[in-house]
Amino acid sequence: MAERQLNQVLTQLKSTSTTLSYTDASALLSKAKLLLLQLNALTPNPTTPPSLLALARDTYELGALCSIRAKNPDAFTRYVSQLTPFYELPASVVPPNPSERSKVTGLYLLLLLTQGRYAEFHSELEALSTTTAGVDVENDRYLGYPIRLERWLMEGSYDRVWKAMKKGEVPCEEYGVFSDILTFQIRSEIASSSERAYPSLPLSSTKSLLFLESEGAVVDFARSRGWIIKDGTIYFPSANAAQEGEEAEQEKETSQMIIENTLGYARQLETIV
Amino acid sequence: MPGKTPDKEPVENGGYRGGKDIDMTDKDLKPKGKKSIKDGDDEMTVVVPPSKSSKHSSAPPPNDADGDVAMDDSDKADDGAVKVDPVVQTINDIKSNFALLDRAVTLFDARFSLRALRSISSIRKRLTPDILAQAISETFSANSTSSHIAKGLLLAIGKADVSLGRQPGPEMEVDSEPKAKNGAKKEVKETIPEIDVFLGILTQVLLYDTKQTQRGFEFSSHLASRVQSLNRRTLDSLSAKVYYYLSLFAEQLAPLPPSPQSPIVSIRPTLLAALRTAVLRKDIDTQASVIVLLLRNYLLTSHIAQADLLVSHTQFPENAANNQVARFLYYLGRTRAIQLRYTEAHEHLTAATRKAPSSACALGFSQTATKLLMVVELLMGDIPDRATFRQPTMEAALQPYFLLVQAVRVGNLEDFELIIADHADTFKRDGTYTLILRLRQNVIKTGIRMMSLSYSRISLRDICIRLHLGSEESAEYIVAKAIRDGVIEATLDRERGFMKSKEVGDVYATREPGEAFHDRIRACLALHDESVKAMRFPMNQHRLELKNAQEAREREREMAKEIQEGDLDEDDLGGEFEGM
Repeated sequence: MAERQLNQVLTQLKSTSTTLSYTDASALLSKAKLLLLQLNALTPNPTTPPSLLALARDTYELGALCSIRAKNPDAFTRYVSQLTPFYELPASVVPPNPSERSKVTGLYLLLLLTQGRYAEFHSELEALSTTTAGVDVENDRYLGYPIRLERWLMEGSYDRVWKAMKKGEVPCEEYGVFSDILTFQIRSEIASSSERAYPSLPLSSTKSLLFLESEGAVVDFARSRGWIIKDGTIYFPSANAAQEGEEAEQEKETSQMIIENTLGYARQLETIV
Repeated sequence: MPGKTPDKEPVENGGYRGGKDIDMTDKDLKPKGKKSIKDGDDEMTVVVPPSKSSKHSSAPPPNDADGDVAMDDSDKADDGAVKVDPVVQTINDIKSNFALLDRAVTLFDARFSLRALRSISSIRKRLTPDILAQAISETFSANSTSSHIAKGLLLAIGKADVSLGRQPGPEMEVDSEPKAKNGAKKEVKETIPEIDVFLGILTQVLLYDTKQTQRGFEFSSHLASRVQSLNRRTLDSLSAKVYYYLSLFAEQLAPLPPSPQSPIVSIRPTLLAALRTAVLRKDIDTQASVIVLLLRNYLLTSHIAQADLLVSHTQFPENAANNQVARFLYYLGRTRAIQLRYTEAHEHLTAATRKAPSSACALGFSQTATKLLMVVELLMGDIPDRATFRQPTMEAALQPYFLLVQAVRVGNLEDFELIIADHADTFKRDGTYTLILRLRQNVIKTGIRMMSLSYSRISLRDICIRLHLGSEESAEYIVAKAIRDGVIEATLDRERGFMKSKEVGDVYATREPGEAFHDRIRACLALHDESVKAMRFPMNQHRLELKNAQEAREREREMAKEIQEGDLDEDDLGGEFEGM
């Protein structure tokens, strides 16, 4: 009985997933989860029938995609952790659904990437490369995307990241959600490297450097970072003045440290001899 | 040890997943680890128990403190003259360990059980089902209460028909003729649990060597639950072994580890329970080895987060055996490397490679740890020492890594990708593939650094061509990032599109040399401290010294009295001093 109801809810969710508002979808999802609870299939047990397991997995996958569309990372993370035990079930018990799985996992990777949780990103990646035997992780449509992005971000090819975020390159619409965050991220990365790398920058070329729409936007951006604009050129506030004072400070610190260290050695040697 | 040499081919040792290398470390690392427990004086002589002959020629029998324990050697010596049947010899060897275990229980000293465990590696080569069955049947009497345990052991090695005890019990009379002719003395008294667990371990070893994995796994599970139910402190070091073989068997059962359905997942509760008990009982041996097993278990299925949690929630016993520490450090280093905590990983892995025995017997472990250490060093931007690659034992195994290091050092992206493609299988087997993929940015950085060192001014276009980067824009961003990260000292000129290197300052004017010096001194001092801590002193020795001191003081007092009384002249005094 409950199983049939659950099936109905799921078909409704699937057919209208793109048009449904988040509140409606989450209402349906919580109904589905309640039904799962009644069926005792919220987490996989050895006794749970395979058909129910597949249903439960579908519910969570739909929930995960829904929460991403609603830009609710917490809910998404929750769904992903609920999905993990299902993905570890053998293929003989639940027929796997590789494309949905890679989609959700890829989104999760992207989320970790945009939140700067690199350690978890790489742990997840390590797990992927061993558990999904037979799947070429790097060339997978969904999984390859965050992996490539990470590599480019790390080496600094921001223009490739920018290109990859354009329409048509993104594997599916859910991935587009992260574009804004990523754009902001790479822009601040570029800005901080420019401050160190260039003595000055002409306003016109900064526009393309920072992937901004207009020169007005460049001016706004420059103001927000405290850059000085003079005659159509951006000058970065030199840290020289501050540095000199620091250097003297450092000099003092260094000699202090050397004295401290030497005294330390003397004390240690005393205990040895 | 000729019996083990085939295991040591680099091919086998390549992957730590093979189980082989770890196993190897066990066989011979174990004894080594235990040396710290022995008295200080023979610490140097027993680095590793070498083959019998070499032990005879080079080192004095290490156990001379207790003459009867060195029977391994003395029996062998007798062998030359009398030519004892090897079967009888082996059985005697096994039995001689019972005496050790007995002593361990009565004296409550773990050293004796460790000594018994150490002899396993020498018995192992001669072990056959027949020999073991015979040893069991001679140990247990048929009508004792522990006979069902013995039956279980016999069943496990497929010798269920062997009768128990030399004493013909009423129901045993009909049984087949006794297999042994030397069954001189009978064990009338009740056998202690240590002995049957020891025989259980021998059974595990036998099953493992004869590749009866399924049966071994079942037997080990029984044995583990039995060990758990017995609450005896003298069993501690034995139970560590039992768990070790349990997880070794589990790893070899299909489906093999990377798959989440592998039996190793199912033994996790057992191991965790064992860990809990071990911690509560302050059973250091089991605690250390179970933590290591669990870590290995998690890493085999790539459950990095769980491994990390385990490490953060447990405390690895400080005075664990050396080999367990080495393994623990290796697994910890691996976890940290995956989590991008390279500095920590480097620290742990360096310690692991240093703690690994330098002899050839644990080569697999050293190789695997060295490989990982190299990749981590590369990731940190260092270039591993060339001498590492020249070690004869490492050379072949490290060949792909050597090429990799070369590519990274030169900063040649094309070579780098070629090597990855060529040796992808090797790297994947070693579990370093994903780490190596992260090296790409380091290659680029090195390339840029070389460029910045060689040219005072170079156009972005040239950089792009030389490093095989996608486009000039990419090159610009990459160089800018490198400047920000402090890889190079340079500035970019956007309008004219070139990179201008800054003058390199004098390194010796900075505080860097001082820091390097400080680091080294600190390492030396830490080494000294650790060696002081590692020294062992015989029990109650200080009392003897106290007594001596007391006597000396008394003498002094007497002397003082005599001086006061004026009985003593100067000559006597001088003599005293010389005597001291």
